[in-house]
Amino acid sequence: MASAARTAARSAWPSLAPFLERHYTTAVSILSVLVFLVLWETAADQRWMNPRLTGQPTLIWQAVLEVFRNDRFFYHAWISFAEFGIGFVLALIVGVPLGLIMGTHKTTRLFLEPPLMALYTAPRLALLPILIVWLGIGIASKIAVVFLGAVFPILVNTLAGVRNADNRLVQAARAFGATQLDIFVKILVPGSLPAILMGVRLGIGRGVLSVIVGEMFVSQAGIGYQIMSYGQGMQINKMLVYALSISLFSYGLILSVQWLESRIRDWKPVS
Amino acid sequence: MAQIEIRDVSVDYKRPNSEETFTAVDGINLSIEKGSFVTIVGSSGCGKSTLLLALAGLIPYAKGAITVDGKTVTAPGPDRAMVFQDASLLPWRSVHGNVRFGLELRRWRRDDLDQRVTRFVHMVGLGSFADYHPHQLSGGMRQRVNIARALAVDPDVLLMDEPFGALDAQTREVMGDELLRIWERDKKTAIFVTHAIDEAIFLGDRVVVMGKNPGHIREIVEIDLPRPRTSAMLDSPAFIAYRQKLRDYIAADMASLQMVKDVA
Repeated sequence: MASAARTAARSAWPSLAPFLERHYTTAVSILSVLVFLVLWETAADQRWMNPRLTGQPTLIWQAVLEVFRNDRFFYHAWISFAEFGIGFVLALIVGVPLGLIMGTHKTTRLFLEPPLMALYTAPRLALLPILIVWLGIGIASKIAVVFLGAVFPILVNTLAGVRNADNRLVQAARAFGATQLDIFVKILVPGSLPAILMGVRLGIGRGVLSVIVGEMFVSQAGIGYQIMSYGQGMQINKMLVYALSISLFSYGLILSVQWLESRIRDWKPVS
Repeated sequence: MAQIEIRDVSVDYKRPNSEETFTAVDGINLSIEKGSFVTIVGSSGCGKSTLLLALAGLIPYAKGAITVDGKTVTAPGPDRAMVFQDASLLPWRSVHGNVRFGLELRRWRRDDLDQRVTRFVHMVGLGSFADYHPHQLSGGMRQRVNIARALAVDPDVLLMDEPFGALDAQTREVMGDELLRIWERDKKTAIFVTHAIDEAIFLGDRVVVMGKNPGHIREIVEIDLPRPRTSAMLDSPAFIAYRQKLRDYIAADMASLQMVKDVA
């Protein structure tokens, strides 16, 4: 019976059925989004909830067109992207080498750990007022807050990656006459790559959060600034367009890191 | 003088998280002739791996002297190479890359490096697996890589620390055969640590039996079986006699330990 039904379904949708079989996961995900959107639209349409407060998918689509047409969207996006990009690259440049050095050199680690851990556990967004006093309300204070947000997950994970290096590999290298530099370059750095990438992935989340909150707090332009102004003006649909653009941006970035991680998983033993 | 001379060597270990040291092996005297195959057996904790690590130059010894070809061992050197248990392969490197690893560390000449790697990968029968990564290989194959990595650097002495310890019994036998086949080609001096008595007899010209508290050499048994060794020999009367003898030595060691426990 069931198989007969399957065959019938197949002949009804000759092109769709094989697609569904092959992309089962994607199909379910897409279906989930569609169901959510339809529910949202219906709920707002039927006034089960107030669309002035919750927005509505069709109105959001109109807002998308409007935002792209005459809202200087790309100007704001560029500001936010630059703040995020510069801050994040700085976090990489500082976090990865510092993590590697702290992981291999005990005195450096003991010396730097207390102040860094104090900063790590403190809510760094709470430092925003001070950063603004120091660096002004322009791009620099946001770069600083992105840097502070992203550098710690990167540093801490790199450090953990180096410290968890497999001692048996180090000993094998020693037996072949490896120098300290050999061990660093050929064992510790490649061995901590998965941990570094995990830090990068966490850092992206923190960095994006930091730039948006930073802009919402005080700024003259950027996605966070727009979210804040539309939120205060009760223009929920336009506000949601900006919020969505951030989601898409960080999702894309995280997907690319996951792709890199999957390349590494070719050798990484399943733990 | 033999190629390897171990004279009255003792190795102290520092207990973790304390200044207290204990003696892992003590009063070791052993001479090993060039080209011979020596196996070391003993129950766990008798210091057989410790002795091998000291010989490799990976841990310092407190007393005595170890010399290889007249030179005192203080650190790892190009005259020795070590085969570890399988976890010592770099998981992010392929079979080729792992064999290459040893040569890179020994600063081998670049021009024939990859050719040499290919030759040794073929020698251990992994020619068609050169691009595989360790986790894609069976335990036996990983140990072939480990052996190739050690042999590729052309050492005078091959040190093996329970290389087949993680393998199942059947694979172990196959690997033993394979190891002897490779070893008979150029007869490098081989020192092989194991806790399997049969393996020790099958591979060795001499079996060194170690006892514990502290680790010491209890007995050295010459194995007078013809080479090449075959698996048929495992059931020969001579082999069974050796097995019985070695088992008695090791059992005696365990028994003395039992008495110490009873007194305590």
